[in-house]
Amino acid sequence: MRNGFRQSMAWLHSWAGLVAGWVLFAMFVTGTATYYRADISRWMRPELPVVQQVPTPDTLAQAAETAVAHLKGAAPNAIAWYVTLPSAADPAVGLTWFTDFARPPGTARLDPATGGPPATRETRGGDFVYHFHYELNLPSTVGRWIAGICAMIGLITLLSGILTHRRIFADFFTFRRGAKSAQRSWLDAHNVVGVLAIPFHLMITYTGIATLALMYMPWGVLAAYQGDEMRFYGETGQITAPVTPAGRPGQLAPVGPMVRQALERISEPLEMLSVDMPGDAKAKVVAVFEEPHGLSHQHPQVAFDGATGAVLEVLNPNLKPASKTFTTMVGLHEAHFAGPALRVLFFLSGLMGAAMVGTGLVLWSVARLPKPGAAPFFGLRLVRVLNLAAIAGLPAALAAYFLANRLLPVGLGARADWEVGAFFAVWLTSAAYAGFRPQVSAWCEMLSASAALFLAVPVVNGLTTGRHPLASAAAGDALYLWFDAAMLGLAGLFAFAAHKARGAEALGRRRSEVTAPPIRSNALERA
Amino acid sequence: MTPLVLLANLALSFAAFAALCLSMNRHHAAAFLAKPSRRTARGLRAAGWAGIVLCFAVSVLAEGWNFGPVQWLGSLSGGALLVVALASYRPTWIRPAALLALPLALVAAFII
Repeated sequence: MRNGFRQSMAWLHSWAGLVAGWVLFAMFVTGTATYYRADISRWMRPELPVVQQVPTPDTLAQAAETAVAHLKGAAPNAIAWYVTLPSAADPAVGLTWFTDFARPPGTARLDPATGGPPATRETRGGDFVYHFHYELNLPSTVGRWIAGICAMIGLITLLSGILTHRRIFADFFTFRRGAKSAQRSWLDAHNVVGVLAIPFHLMITYTGIATLALMYMPWGVLAAYQGDEMRFYGETGQITAPVTPAGRPGQLAPVGPMVRQALERISEPLEMLSVDMPGDAKAKVVAVFEEPHGLSHQHPQVAFDGATGAVLEVLNPNLKPASKTFTTMVGLHEAHFAGPALRVLFFLSGLMGAAMVGTGLVLWSVARLPKPGAAPFFGLRLVRVLNLAAIAGLPAALAAYFLANRLLPVGLGARADWEVGAFFAVWLTSAAYAGFRPQVSAWCEMLSASAALFLAVPVVNGLTTGRHPLASAAAGDALYLWFDAAMLGLAGLFAFAAHKARGAEALGRRRSEVTAPPIRSNALERA
Repeated sequence: MTPLVLLANLALSFAAFAALCLSMNRHHAAAFLAKPSRRTARGLRAAGWAGIVLCFAVSVLAEGWNFGPVQWLGSLSGGALLVVALASYRPTWIRPAALLALPLALVAAFII
């Protein structure tokens, strides 16, 4: 142990935090945005009316029939179909099908009334942000492993940070903005955002890992159930009992009547229909409902025999303590239970999490400033560029994602991919820019660019859709008003940060003139 | 009415943390140009902790044992963040703001 416990914890904290920091920052930012996933999706489909009807049982039954008819044509040999049914938030039907669980699924969206493509623009909406949060836009398994490892390192960083922090209570309210050393101010900021929301940070990191714990540590279940994980999920009451395929082809009974029967048994909104082995004589159709209001994330389900349409099982979860603990952790992580007011607190806590990681990353580089006149070593230059790309680049990329949604032609082929492309194009450009510009100027310029992009979102939205704040207010469209306000708020935040960075730039220049007058370009680099 | 419960919680937690903040020498000195007497410090500290407990009671009574603690912790983070912002930018505003927050919490609690 290096020089005692606290020092070794400090060492662990700074290096663990650095290694996982950039990924964690991206996970915190996109995860925080995911609290508004449905709202983002809705905003990104401006063709939808302001007020959407809650679908009736007839609509749902017909939508399910339309979906299955399409899937029979598109994926007759699939091993599973998933149908997201119309809801008040999204009137389209979402289809996902697997021919092999190791391969990416096929997807489609339909207008339930016509069976054709929906009348909304093609976009991944908030789903992109949500999936990025834990899969980082990588192939699902790889992405989840990287996210999981980073989250585990994040938990270590949190715990070692708490152990390192000498004065949690004494410095609870302390933020010395104008401290003599910049390092002191950054440390204060890091401590304040870390400590004040520590219950959230611990909860969100731990439950995030727990959500995918069985993927990261499957061996217990695999050993106990001889490799049949589905039986485990069935026995713990998380899914309806699995059915062994018959191995001979069968005909699927009409799903419309199944949907109606399911709706008579469960009062929650119907969310999804899944069909296991749709072409098999023992196909199983499961109607999955939204979870009832509660901390625990558990979906009521009704399973049907696919061939006869008879009810196999009604799963209205009444879980045993261990499963209940698990679903409560998932529920806490996702916060589906949070109404608009509590959701704001979750959002704010998420921002504080992002701020904690961001200030920590900056602190690492500030604490290792080279001596006046000396050139920064390679590692420091690398960290600085990555910090810029993550902290200033990612928000700009998110704003670009929203802008692309409004600016790309509606009929463009593979439009949803172009939107995601715009996100990564801006992110990569910002990383390259950070690599070529002097450190301090880059902070100011890139933060200003983020502010400008966020400012552009409501402007471009108003120009392209005509749903500017006045129109939204007149139409009683709270979502558009809030979205505009949030974008302006973010623009203000980044403008403020850019202003601060400009102050630091000026300060750095003054300081460099005093300490090392002959080498001005180098001094800029250093500051 | 959840937004009102949240308002009451936030106001209470803000007032409680403001009292705790002002019970500390450094912040008291920044707000009042003098260190607090030992009695004042102890009184403020007691009031602060009482406020945090009261905040817990309000959220559990209004939101139940499931959501109450979640909302309590969330509003503690929110309230404390406000206090830190004031302590850093406008320390002299902490006391009046806390004195304003208390009746606000009371009104919100009554409407609930």
